[in-house]
Amino acid sequence: MQCVVRFPAKWVSASLFEAALRGSCGPHAPDSHDIVFEIPADCKIMIDSAIRLLSLANQLVSTTRRTRLRFEEGETGTMGYLNRMGFFDCLDPRVGIEPERPFISRAALHRGGNRMLVEITRINRGVRDDELPTRLSDAVKEACTSRVDVEDLGGAVWTIFAELIQNIFDHSDTQLDGYAALQVYPGGNKVSVAVSDSGRGIMDTLRPALRTEFPKLANLSDTEVLVEIFRQGGSRYGADRGCGLKGCAAKAIKFAASLDVRLPNQRVLLVPTNGIYKLNTAHCYERLPLLWGTHIGFNFGMGA
Amino acid sequence: MLSLRQFMKRPDGWGRSEGREIYNRLLDFVEGNPEAIVFRVSLGDVRRLDMSFASETLVELARRYRRIKGFCLIDLSDKDIAENIDAAAERKNQPLLIWEGKSARVIGSNPSEGTREAFQFAMGRSECRASEFATQKGISIANASMKFKQLWNEGFLLRRESVADSGGVEFIYQRIG
Repeated sequence: MQCVVRFPAKWVSASLFEAALRGSCGPHAPDSHDIVFEIPADCKIMIDSAIRLLSLANQLVSTTRRTRLRFEEGETGTMGYLNRMGFFDCLDPRVGIEPERPFISRAALHRGGNRMLVEITRINRGVRDDELPTRLSDAVKEACTSRVDVEDLGGAVWTIFAELIQNIFDHSDTQLDGYAALQVYPGGNKVSVAVSDSGRGIMDTLRPALRTEFPKLANLSDTEVLVEIFRQGGSRYGADRGCGLKGCAAKAIKFAASLDVRLPNQRVLLVPTNGIYKLNTAHCYERLPLLWGTHIGFNFGMGA
Repeated sequence: MLSLRQFMKRPDGWGRSEGREIYNRLLDFVEGNPEAIVFRVSLGDVRRLDMSFASETLVELARRYRRIKGFCLIDLSDKDIAENIDAAAERKNQPLLIWEGKSARVIGSNPSEGTREAFQFAMGRSECRASEFATQKGISIANASMKFKQLWNEGFLLRRESVADSGGVEFIYQRIG
């Protein structure tokens, strides 16, 4: 059966990405064998959505599904932006591109030419690029020099990337690559930081450890556990570890950043209230179309 | 003094596995200096440090030698690094002192309400006896001793045995750094 995921003709945030997925029959559904992602003219895919799309497309071809991305505007539209960001360099060659795969990678052509822009970075579990968090945080600093809190922002972004990327190495348990990306909007007023992997999802790796290590969390729903992990910390390796996610959240909160966590079938959007993330102000979505892995995005606004 | 940067491959400390590697080098250094009781760990020239790395190196070292040797931090002006070490130390219930000139602040765990004054008293001098605090506060020596013992147990202070005027054993408590 053909499964069509059609994105709207506007900026596609993570929320609109999810809406498009929900509007389809589910690309990972057992009877979906031919998946088409339709990107119409004037559709602009934001960076957190872009790496989720990248992960999803690579997941689908790894399960032998026919998978295509149809760019109705050709390379003059969002395809050109994605090409510059290195999207196609990371996309499995088995994924079909319409009208055609870009002949030249503009990311490869310009790589390193603009220190404010960092291409989507592949995170291969076999090889760690030691300088990656520094390159990403330096790009944020370059792009946000006018902000008075630029040093603090650079430090926060470094820590967030360092912890999230390390989580992929430690926990994701998959042969598929993960991705890290960032987008700085003009003027440095908004910074998006996103990390995706196609592994088991943090809940899958954490659940078994909850009963012994975090008995207070064991009876909570997945969504509640997720909020608590970002509030209290938590790791499947025991109570004295796993401050990483909590630490990331603590850094992000200082900049009033919203936090978006997508797991295989759930999504939690946390918006800080009075300096903390609270369960009662979290937007929770369950029973979503399957998307393997853990996908985390932070959106920083102006300095707090 | 122990310069952390000299044990690191790069100015950035990132992740648990890298931390464990550096921890082994730090351990060799500490074991190679058996006479040293207090190590002032300089963070000079360290550019970044994440929580996982801090947890596996500085915090683990302090926890391993708790009550036997003390580790405190110096040359630490970067707020982010301090925050990350703080988060890692809090997770392991390990106090760590950051010294800036002659003043120090504690990160990680904090002394309990009941021992806070005793801790402040101890921090005001390089070493002291529980009896001195008891006299100043007008409390019993047994009560003061209990507070100091708790601070020692939890890693806030070090102590060594001494002979009291009465001929019995008395502990001399030392601040870390």
